[in-house]
Amino acid sequence: MSFADYVASRWQELLVDAAQHASAVIQCTLIAAVLGVALGVAVHRSPAGSAVATALTSAVLTIPSFALLGLLIPVLGLGVAPTVTALVLYALLPIVRNTIVGLAGVDPAVLDAARGIGMSRAGVLTRVQLRLAWPAVLTGMRVSTQLLMGIAAIAAYVKGPGLGNVIFSGLSRVGSANAINLALAGTIGVVIVALVLDGAYVLLGRLTISRGVA
Amino acid sequence: MTGEGTVSGVEICLDQVTKRYPGSQVAAVDEFSMTIPAGQVVVFVGPSGCGKTTTMKMINRLIEPSSGRITIGGRDALSLNPDKLRRGIGYAIQQAGLFPHMTVGENIGLVPGLLGWQQQKVRARVEELLDLVGLDPAQFRNRFPRQLSGGQQQRVGVARALAADPPVLLMDEPFGAVDPITRGNLQDELLRLQSELRKTIVFVTHDFDEAVKLGDRIAVLGPRSSILQYDTPEAVLANPADDTVAGFVGAGASLKQLTLLRVKDVDLDEAVTAPTDEDPAALHVRLTMQNSKYALLLDARRRPVRWVHVRELVGGGALSTLGRPVEATVTQRSTLQDALEAILTEGGHVPVTGQHGEYLGVVRIDTVMDVIRTLREEHEHDHD
Amino acid sequence: MTTTNPRAERIRLFAQPVVVLVGLAAVLGVIASGPLDDIEQRNINVSTILGLTWQHLLLSVAVTAIVVLVGVPLGVVLTRRWARPAAPFVLVLANIGQAAPAIGLLVLFFLVTGATGFWIAALPIALYALLPVLRNTIVGIQQVDPSLVEAGRGIGMSASAVLRRIELPLAVPLILAGLRTSLVLAVGTATLAFFVAGGGLGVLIDTGDKLGRYSVLVTGAVLAMALALLVDWLGALAERYLAPRGLR
Repeated sequence: MSFADYVASRWQELLVDAAQHASAVIQCTLIAAVLGVALGVAVHRSPAGSAVATALTSAVLTIPSFALLGLLIPVLGLGVAPTVTALVLYALLPIVRNTIVGLAGVDPAVLDAARGIGMSRAGVLTRVQLRLAWPAVLTGMRVSTQLLMGIAAIAAYVKGPGLGNVIFSGLSRVGSANAINLALAGTIGVVIVALVLDGAYVLLGRLTISRGVA
Repeated sequence: MTGEGTVSGVEICLDQVTKRYPGSQVAAVDEFSMTIPAGQVVVFVGPSGCGKTTTMKMINRLIEPSSGRITIGGRDALSLNPDKLRRGIGYAIQQAGLFPHMTVGENIGLVPGLLGWQQQKVRARVEELLDLVGLDPAQFRNRFPRQLSGGQQQRVGVARALAADPPVLLMDEPFGAVDPITRGNLQDELLRLQSELRKTIVFVTHDFDEAVKLGDRIAVLGPRSSILQYDTPEAVLANPADDTVAGFVGAGASLKQLTLLRVKDVDLDEAVTAPTDEDPAALHVRLTMQNSKYALLLDARRRPVRWVHVRELVGGGALSTLGRPVEATVTQRSTLQDALEAILTEGGHVPVTGQHGEYLGVVRIDTVMDVIRTLREEHEHDHD
Repeated sequence: MTTTNPRAERIRLFAQPVVVLVGLAAVLGVIASGPLDDIEQRNINVSTILGLTWQHLLLSVAVTAIVVLVGVPLGVVLTRRWARPAAPFVLVLANIGQAAPAIGLLVLFFLVTGATGFWIAALPIALYALLPVLRNTIVGIQQVDPSLVEAGRGIGMSASAVLRRIELPLAVPLILAGLRTSLVLAVGTATLAFFVAGGGLGVLIDTGDKLGRYSVLVTGAVLAMALALLVDWLGALAERYLAPRGLR
């Protein structure tokens, strides 16, 4: 069966896998965004805190994903738990780093002005600082999403959802006619999902970044 | 510039040199012809975008001319290998263009190295050049560019340009990025170097004052590098060729040319002088007889100390407490510009002193005004 | 991986090797001191561990060598004037290439060639790890101040001399940063090499999982983590001490 025939005959299953892949990556990026922004906000006033948070999250990113996933099996078993844990951990660095950089980049004069017109500290944070740091945070999320695409494929090893399963079933059918089709469909599928989500980020940026900032 | 050294530069001839960029209707440089005399500093000055840098870069073929001829010391520059050609032409640029990953010594020794000099010779040359530009070799040769001030970087840039002792030096706004005081020092330094070395220097700037100060000749360039005027600074100042040049020369042109003349170039006047111990009454008589209002009091070593007005002499009191102290003096080497400034401080005239501070005479404001008038008339005559 | 926070880099420069070595010793100590059954003893012993670690390192070194030998020259070529229009296309291709999952490349290469072993793992991993070095070489050369290049040409250096003595040295800091990222990717992806019988520490992780011996799994995972963090640390050292002195 040619690759085109294969895709034509299995496109529904592939679409489900692709959707699950995208959904896992998006959800984990969102969780990481909440945690990462909170962490960034917590440490951004302290240079030492920022340095430690950046050092820790970037060290996490250095860890081989297969090793981390493997390490989570004894603790969390198989399935969703280890997958989400690993993906969120890997997504943290770009978001934390960019949140810190973005918050640090807000002009102190703007902050003075905001306090001066009577905004509370929380008001300044949510209505001024985070608004201005948003482009940087969004860029961090975009990088994280791309990063998670490949890692999510490996997560199929711990029975995570997504296109990794297609690749692994290709591997397990070595020698059969469809092995290469499966691996190719999984690999290309990840690339396509990655490109689509990257385009979505560009669109999201256009829609959500204040025109005064960009 | 009056040089003491022998001329080591060579003549540069540009003949109908044109640069046309592909896809552009008008030429960037249009049939530029000029002879740059050996051993002189010629300054290309003009607004940004006029093509002065393009013209200069065609001399060392960083930009290849579309047509025309360029000879350097009689040799056809366009038929040589461009890399070899450039090794024989010093090149200094804005912000020095020092290579940040090389030490000062390595930067300066680069061209001699390319020319295959022995290491020993290169080292000696680096030392000599650092000395020449006023940087202590022991202190500076192993530093990196980022460890130098802007002015020091520029000095190293000039040293690098001089490294292989090229007859010709191209300088593209080399002092454009430093503060005004440092720039003044670097300009003085360049003049001093040039009086020893007598290279042929093509210097590009948009600063007209810099052009006047450094140039033996100034080429005021207009659009497409058209030569609006090519003459001595005196002539350009006194007699701008057209309104564009006049506009570029700017207001105060007559004052600017005073920087070109020195006190020793004009006749000094005699003031009524008196030793500080002279009898005030006797001085009053002398002043009245010579129809002068002021007397200049000199100390025992004939150094000017005070000005006394004739009216102050009637009240009595010792001469040494009368009048007001001399605030400014000039020497014979001061420019007339400096003298004029001192005259304005002193009130109509300024004492001129010799090597040991002794009184030589005074320069009056009338003398300076006469000089300006004569200069202007002379150059008007030149043009007829 | 490189961070943009110099202080964070400094913390990692000092803390990372200490934490890694102490942590590694602790975990291996606990595992080795406990009672080990047959399967565990077959997998957790000095010669197996050293052999797999060595294999993992060799794989990473081979990948890095390929990446440098291909990425730097290709990056240089793509910054030459005649090839410059091709640079964006190659970068887009390389970006898409990196968006492809490493596991997918590995499996595909194995299925297509029908072969297994060291090079069957090394080649796709190299392809995957190529982008950081390639991109940083291009960016590193592009960000060299054009006036320095012109100054070099202006004082009579040939185009190749300018490349060798100015452009490349000035691009070294960025190339080293790219190399560090590539190295980390290489070590990380080498844990997947066992899927195509390429060896490496992934073998221990997989064996531990398949045979239900978490001690074996943890040994492999911790070793792979330690190796990655140490290699990253070496990369950080290289970034710090191999860059031209005048640029530091």
